[in-house]
Amino acid sequence: MEPIRTDFRGYEGQYVATDARTGKIVIADEDPRIVLEKAKGRNHVVVRGRVPHADEPIYVGLG
Amino acid sequence: MSPSTSALAEQEPFPWLYPYREDPQHTRLDQPILRPFVQVSLVNGDESTTMLDGLVDTGADAILASDLLADLLGIDLAEHEGQTQHAIGGRTHLARYKTISLRLHPHDGEIDEYREWHAQVGFIEDWHSYSFVLLGSVGFLDRWTVTASRFAQAIAVEQRETFDNRFGLVEAA
Repeated sequence: MEPIRTDFRGYEGQYVATDARTGKIVIADEDPRIVLEKAKGRNHVVVRGRVPHADEPIYVGLG
Repeated sequence: MSPSTSALAEQEPFPWLYPYREDPQHTRLDQPILRPFVQVSLVNGDESTTMLDGLVDTGADAILASDLLADLLGIDLAEHEGQTQHAIGGRTHLARYKTISLRLHPHDGEIDEYREWHAQVGFIEDWHSYSFVLLGSVGFLDRWTVTASRFAQAIAVEQRETFDNRFGLVEAA
């Protein structure tokens, strides 16, 4: 299968939700509660997590 | 207990396939980081979360989640079923466990299609610096047969009996 790719550039430091089918970011905010609330009940929308800044280390897992 | 299913949508038969997804973290050696995520939501009574990325982690023994989700679900973690210290990312975190329901959704995020089961989840304080849910052995990998292939760039989720049906009963030598 082709992996689902997402362009996270420009969203550093923000929590994001994407369209599960395309990977396109549809919600972003620095407050995770806002992203979780805005995504609730929306079909095909999945909350991904926080986009780190470039100088942050890469976690092995969720960190 | 057998996993229950949504009555609202016609269920797609197993296996459910999930393409690997690009991780929000930056590239490693100039290559994108692709990880085995499945789409899950957490349920407590009438309250449920939105769909979340759940990272499948065969090296983890439990299901762990941010306590932010417990707060949104109205779960009182003061009345936990047990607590354990975990070392994650070089730090120690206290996980307080509660048994709740989880829903596995198909990869396209169809919200009304899911398989539901019960499991103990360890909620960790302020643990959402990156993501929200980690799916380990007890509660997830003992409920489903999961096949991951980075070569195929996909994972397959099937009923838990599938492993024994495919390989027979595996006994220690």
